[in-house]
Amino acid sequence: MGEVIRKPIKPLQVNPIKLSQPMGATLAFLGIDKCMPLMHGGQGCASFTKVFMTRHFSEPIAIQTTAVTDVTAILDGGDYSIVEAIKNITKKASPSLIGLHTTGLPETKGDDIRGVAAKIDFPLVHVNTPDYEGGLESGWALAVKAIIEQLVEASEELDGNKLVLLPHVSLQPIEVEKLKEFIAGFGFEVLALPDLSTSLDGYLGEKQGSLSGGGISVEQIRALADAGLVLSVGDSMLGAAKALLEKNPAMRHHHFAHLSGLEATDALVERLLAETGFQKPPASVIRWRKRLQDAMLDSHFSLGQTRFAVAAEPDQLAGVCASLREAGGRVRLAIATVDSPQLVKIPAEKVLVGDLEDAENLQDDYDLIVGNFHAEALAHRFHKGLVVRGFPNWEQIGNQLKNDVLYEGGAYFLFEAANVAEAMRAATHHGRD
Amino acid sequence: MAPKPKIRELLDESACTHNKTKKAACNAPTPGATTGGCAFEGAQISLFPYADAAHLVHGPITCLGASWETRATRTSYPGRDLTQMGFTTGISTNDVVFGGEQKLLDSIAYIVEHYAPEAVFVYATCVTALIGDDLDAVCKAAKQKYGIPVVPVHAPGFVGSKNLGSRLGGEAALAHLVGTKEPEVSTPFDINLIGEYNVTGDMWQYTPLLEELGIRVLSTLSGDGRVASIRTAHRARLNVIVCAKSLISLTRKMEEKYGIPSISLSFYGKRDTSNGLRAIAEALGDADLVARTNALIEREEARLEEKLRPYRELFKGKKAVLNTGGNKTWSIASALQDLGIEVVATAVKKATESDREKAREYLGENGVLMMDPGSEQAKIIDATGAHLLLAGGRSLYTAIKKRISFIDVNQEKKKSYGGYDGLLNLAEDLKNALENPVFKTVAKRAPWEK
Repeated sequence: MGEVIRKPIKPLQVNPIKLSQPMGATLAFLGIDKCMPLMHGGQGCASFTKVFMTRHFSEPIAIQTTAVTDVTAILDGGDYSIVEAIKNITKKASPSLIGLHTTGLPETKGDDIRGVAAKIDFPLVHVNTPDYEGGLESGWALAVKAIIEQLVEASEELDGNKLVLLPHVSLQPIEVEKLKEFIAGFGFEVLALPDLSTSLDGYLGEKQGSLSGGGISVEQIRALADAGLVLSVGDSMLGAAKALLEKNPAMRHHHFAHLSGLEATDALVERLLAETGFQKPPASVIRWRKRLQDAMLDSHFSLGQTRFAVAAEPDQLAGVCASLREAGGRVRLAIATVDSPQLVKIPAEKVLVGDLEDAENLQDDYDLIVGNFHAEALAHRFHKGLVVRGFPNWEQIGNQLKNDVLYEGGAYFLFEAANVAEAMRAATHHGRD
Repeated sequence: MAPKPKIRELLDESACTHNKTKKAACNAPTPGATTGGCAFEGAQISLFPYADAAHLVHGPITCLGASWETRATRTSYPGRDLTQMGFTTGISTNDVVFGGEQKLLDSIAYIVEHYAPEAVFVYATCVTALIGDDLDAVCKAAKQKYGIPVVPVHAPGFVGSKNLGSRLGGEAALAHLVGTKEPEVSTPFDINLIGEYNVTGDMWQYTPLLEELGIRVLSTLSGDGRVASIRTAHRARLNVIVCAKSLISLTRKMEEKYGIPSISLSFYGKRDTSNGLRAIAEALGDADLVARTNALIEREEARLEEKLRPYRELFKGKKAVLNTGGNKTWSIASALQDLGIEVVATAVKKATESDREKAREYLGENGVLMMDPGSEQAKIIDATGAHLLLAGGRSLYTAIKKRISFIDVNQEKKKSYGGYDGLLNLAEDLKNALENPVFKTVAKRAPWEK
């Protein structure tokens, strides 16, 4: 573990990778079936978020706004705009839930959304997610925590077969699905909260409706507290896990900082074996572990001579860096969007909370960058290899099917990184000829 | 320091033809039933294309974090393209409590030191407007200190729609840039292009033709624009508004202040491009120029027709349904008609009064103007036997279900459809869509559904 710099050294962000809390909360609500995320703020916040997510997932995105104006910002404490918004939403659609989340505007004027929510006779979860605090990851985590606190019914029962998975925001839909299937292979009934794997995985459906489609149902959420096991992935999810355990202290909880690479997946398998008393995991798991071992050896030569920069949300940063490092990749620079307890655990020479200008200033330190599509211009300018990961990726399609987790995804990821590194070296050589 | 623009005044634009009928402000948003961007986004759209200026967004991270590098506005600026960079003060709780002015000033200093821009545009956002940061004072101080224009843009999202924001962006340019510098030379055929943002290089489809005619683009707001040129915009002979009703206030004010007349036109499709070129020549009032323009139009149309010939056969008898918004409701319709495709319906739900009038004009009596396209388009496809649906991604399923070809017109395009040559790009895309078997293959039932 190297140097960790948590405090930005400049007054502004230049070429930011940071995204906002309300956007993370929106995404969390999109993992609930027939939900309408309702962003409390100016209309632009919701509009930007909608376009952002639509382009990333190539899917229609359900979201509405309370459309706070300069006048309502002064005169309204949220009562009018929120109540009116819900009236208008339910006029046209029948959501199972409204996910009310705030932005900086109503937080600055101090709207009491809890008070307003109490007066609303409609299934609703409210959460404070000002965009001048935290980031995408914490917004998602806060929303999940609020969903648990406000919807899950306390229980004293335990269903040993039932398992709740709490994934962090950067896990793409297919990754959530792979985690569910992997754990289900040990005999569990797995419920993910939120579950983007069935809502934003890019399946063709009749998506004319304005609500989210797929995802975990509100009924399933209400009944989560009898699960025998809770697995949280990503340090941002610890708060949500804690909230769930309060609904039923008898539930057992295991936490994983990430589930990328051989060692992290081994840790998960070890837990699952211990919990189930199985001697061995399913045959496909054993097979995939061998494939990952092979992939690590096949890629180590290339990765071992490549210096990496990784820019991402903290939980994803931890996973990507660990996965590269254990196959020999030299992670010189890890740039996090925001501060997190994860940062001290990241196997990189330098970890800093920053932006892509920082990555640019330190460009001598690395050959290949893993980051969102905004890193493309930088990679192009300085002839760096690029592996696009994280939100947003507007340049490539198929983001929802990019799988980096567990033995299987780990193998694919290492191959991709090594191939990009080789292509980059080949291009550099040709350039010099 | 110029006063802040008066928002009520901008909402009550006398140059809007529909204004007689409307007493209320344009586009007051309804909570829970609103789509579309905010004023900040509008200002961003109208000013960000100045690639030699830094665009500093004073607000929390949502405003810029979600929106930088979204629009493919191309530039020929040889320096670093600052349009495609993101600058934000990214204010935190501390700034909300204690004010963000110092941070803003420090941020401007940082930008000037590291990127040496020709100007800095500073955008207010909801939160910084609400906490009362004095943008004008900060910008004034910075301008004096660094000797470059530092332009406050008062278009926080909550004041209204994208359209209003574009007006506010125009106001900022007018108040702080236009008329602050004299051009090195003037010609009798100097024009400003207003509202042309050069998305996907649209502008470059027709500017070479203007150049050939001896018409000089003195400045633009703001496609492929330069700060130095917009400062000289007051010396133009004509303002040409390209597909942008939002900037009509700006051109009216420039007419009042500098006596520059304006015309409004579109460069989508053959007819509109030809009409546009002719309109510019006529407005410049030179008989020889008009004659040369007509000759050029004749030549270009003949050249285009030659290239379109292979497509004509394929498009013969084809019908299209168009579901989009704004000026695209008629400009794309016009381009489709130029290709010989019958436009049987166009959505006007998200269009202004004058866009609706234009759509009616282009589609004729029998064309359907859809007020509720979501539920209408499927029925119209059935009733007319349309072959093509041009719409946003949400409508894809309608096309699949009806087994007809689909083009996503709302997705950020990478290819220009503007001018004469852009029509060829559109023709090629339509051909590819019509010939693509995917819409029928995908619509096949699964083996277990038979």
